[in-house]
Amino acid sequence: MNNSNLCWPTPSGRPGLVPTLVLIISILLLAISAPAVELDLSRIVSAIPRMIDFTGNLLVMPEWSYLPSLGKNILQTIEMTFLATSIALVISLPLGVLAAKNTSPHPAVFHVTRNALCLMRALPELVWALVFVSAVGLGPLPGIMALSFVTVGFMGKFFAESIEVVDQRQVEGVVAQGASWLQLRTFAHFPQAFPDFVGTVMYVLDHNLRAAAILGLVGAGGIGYDLVMAMRMFDYGRLLPIALSIYLVVTLLDRASDHFRMRMI
Amino acid sequence: MAEHTIQRPALPKKPFNPTSVWLSGWLALIWFIIVDLELSFETLLYGVQDIFEYFSRYSRPNFEDISRYIELLVQTLATALWGSTLAIVLAVLLAPFAARNLSPNAATYRIARELLNFMRAMPDLLLALIFVAALGLGPLPGALALGLHTAGFLGKFFAESLERVDNGIYEAVTATGASRIQLVMYAGWPSIQREALGYMLYIFDRNVRMAAVLGLVGAGGIGLALHDTLRMFNYDQSAALIVVILATILTIDYLSTWIRGKLN
Amino acid sequence: MAQIIIKDIVKRYDHDFKALKGVSAEIAAGSFTVILGPSGAGKSTLLRSINGLETPTNGTIQIGEHIVTKDNLRQVRSQVGMVFQHFNLVDRLSVMTNVLTGRLSHRSWLGSLLYLFRRTDLDLAHDALIRVGLTDKAWSRADKLSGGQQQRVGIARALAQQPRVILADEPVASLDPVASEEIMGLLREICTRDGITVVVNLHHVELARRFADRIIGLNEGLVVYDGPVSGLDRATLSRIYNRNGEQVDEQLESMLAYA
Repeated sequence: MNNSNLCWPTPSGRPGLVPTLVLIISILLLAISAPAVELDLSRIVSAIPRMIDFTGNLLVMPEWSYLPSLGKNILQTIEMTFLATSIALVISLPLGVLAAKNTSPHPAVFHVTRNALCLMRALPELVWALVFVSAVGLGPLPGIMALSFVTVGFMGKFFAESIEVVDQRQVEGVVAQGASWLQLRTFAHFPQAFPDFVGTVMYVLDHNLRAAAILGLVGAGGIGYDLVMAMRMFDYGRLLPIALSIYLVVTLLDRASDHFRMRMI
Repeated sequence: MAEHTIQRPALPKKPFNPTSVWLSGWLALIWFIIVDLELSFETLLYGVQDIFEYFSRYSRPNFEDISRYIELLVQTLATALWGSTLAIVLAVLLAPFAARNLSPNAATYRIARELLNFMRAMPDLLLALIFVAALGLGPLPGALALGLHTAGFLGKFFAESLERVDNGIYEAVTATGASRIQLVMYAGWPSIQREALGYMLYIFDRNVRMAAVLGLVGAGGIGLALHDTLRMFNYDQSAALIVVILATILTIDYLSTWIRGKLN
Repeated sequence: MAQIIIKDIVKRYDHDFKALKGVSAEIAAGSFTVILGPSGAGKSTLLRSINGLETPTNGTIQIGEHIVTKDNLRQVRSQVGMVFQHFNLVDRLSVMTNVLTGRLSHRSWLGSLLYLFRRTDLDLAHDALIRVGLTDKAWSRADKLSGGQQQRVGIARALAQQPRVILADEPVASLDPVASEEIMGLLREICTRDGITVVVNLHHVELARRFADRIIGLNEGLVVYDGPVSGLDRATLSRIYNRNGEQVDEQLESMLAYA
């Protein structure tokens, strides 16, 4: 096979401008940032035997006496997720209405709400958890506060976007009946955006469960604390049960929300 | 009441509306959780009162260590970049196997799907902890952890998009005698270009946030600095750090929205 | 260039529904055959069995000297081009790249992974585009073309394979009458000039009459007519298009207008 014989399917035979640029820029960025990330292949390779060792150590008898406590903490994680998402849902609904261009009472309100929501979701939950633990002490409360806060940022934005794409004609129908401001939003906008809302809530629940699982790292409740401690102390009797139960719960929720989504459609 | 009542044909029986059941169930669940977690409104109220005072402590950000913060920030971004790249590579390799209409057989499909689910389910923090234990401290284990974890998400998104492509297009390329790899390259990826790019931007965004936080477990980045300053109740420096983190995340958000706008 | 021998094809789906109940036919090399029949007759199933997009429950298909099995599908398909009702082009790729996908079976996996083609491949694609009259659109994105143009790209893609057989599954069902004429004319010209065996599914009897050498009439999974176009009289058409045994004489004309 003769190499000079090969070419790309473009008028010039050379690869297109955009893919080439993207490739070059990506390689440049990666090369520049490699030292910052301390990229070192030999380090990774030499760690492989340690990883294999580790996986071997994981397969040890679980610490049976720990299981009830594990169950309690997992339950706490689930409860935190549910509560935080519920609180955020209640707050996001009105905020979503205010943050949607077609349902907001005034452009100023629209812009302020939109930007506020943007700020609320800018920092990851863990950062807020740190801050709230600092404020109200340890336990699930700061975790719930942090989760709710960030979730309002996401849900508010998603809700607003769902409201913005409703069919205007259906809205006009209700306007023509002489509906009030609130009635219009309740009977024309909300029912149309509802299926999207449900999808958003499912997605957020999934995301929050994973987030809740790690908040314990900073003392904000849930299984996170046990997880980090077990890791730090190489407490293999607990690691596998903890990891497995997180995996199970997350997967269950995933399947449940898939099922639920199928039924909704 | 009027003596003359009009006889109307009866309406069909109203179908049972489960909404009230769901609603009361939901409220009951919430109440139960509040009790079970021993959440007291007192603590919350005091906390909220305190919060205003508390937040005021952050009102004087101290930027004197800014050069160190920037350095950490660069490290965080680098971690996110490399993590996302690893995720993209893994996802591109796995996704075709996890798409029902592209996978060679049912067994491969199941395995690929489960593998992606597993990668998604493991919290990135746990992976980071494991990699720190194996490789030592620093941003590299963080990048690896992020890469593995987000590969699960990206792989699933890619696979679902690939599954949604019009089957006729797959048939047409198959009918020319193309192999499976060629099918994926010429009918699969080109058809989902735009969505794929959207997903990649999304996980880069997510990885920047996570990278900022992974420092808390020694995986490098600006999170560790924040943890330290907060532990020492050094609110001025914490405020500065939060501002830096916030500014970065907002910029990345803005950039990715801009790029997404350009795509359309 | 290749003869197609269809022997006793049966295709059964779950719930015991038989789409094809034992179809046999011999399609001469280089001929232009049209398969006619009402919807649900099994035309698509039969056509798609030829290049293995459907696997028959029983029976064999032989193209040239090869019997189609599940192990030689790629080889068979590289020699059989297919044109689809909904064109099935890859929207985001250029017309040229779409046509080039016809050359994929001749490319190594590594080269095609990088979207690299040989000069000879590009020349073949170019020739195909000349044949269908679309060279000026070579670098346009496929979804920017009209229906008729897209179908011509589909034909060019099949041509680029340098096939011995071209199958067309309702190629004009989504096109207006003018474009339909164009496409059928193109297929006929390809058959005559290149000697490629062409098999087309149609439900428009007039087009079949004008372009085919030979008609295979299918109804409810069985061949009810297999012969020259001249044999397409009212009786035959009635046999092809009757439903559940009813004779459809009176409404035949108007029915065929919608067929």
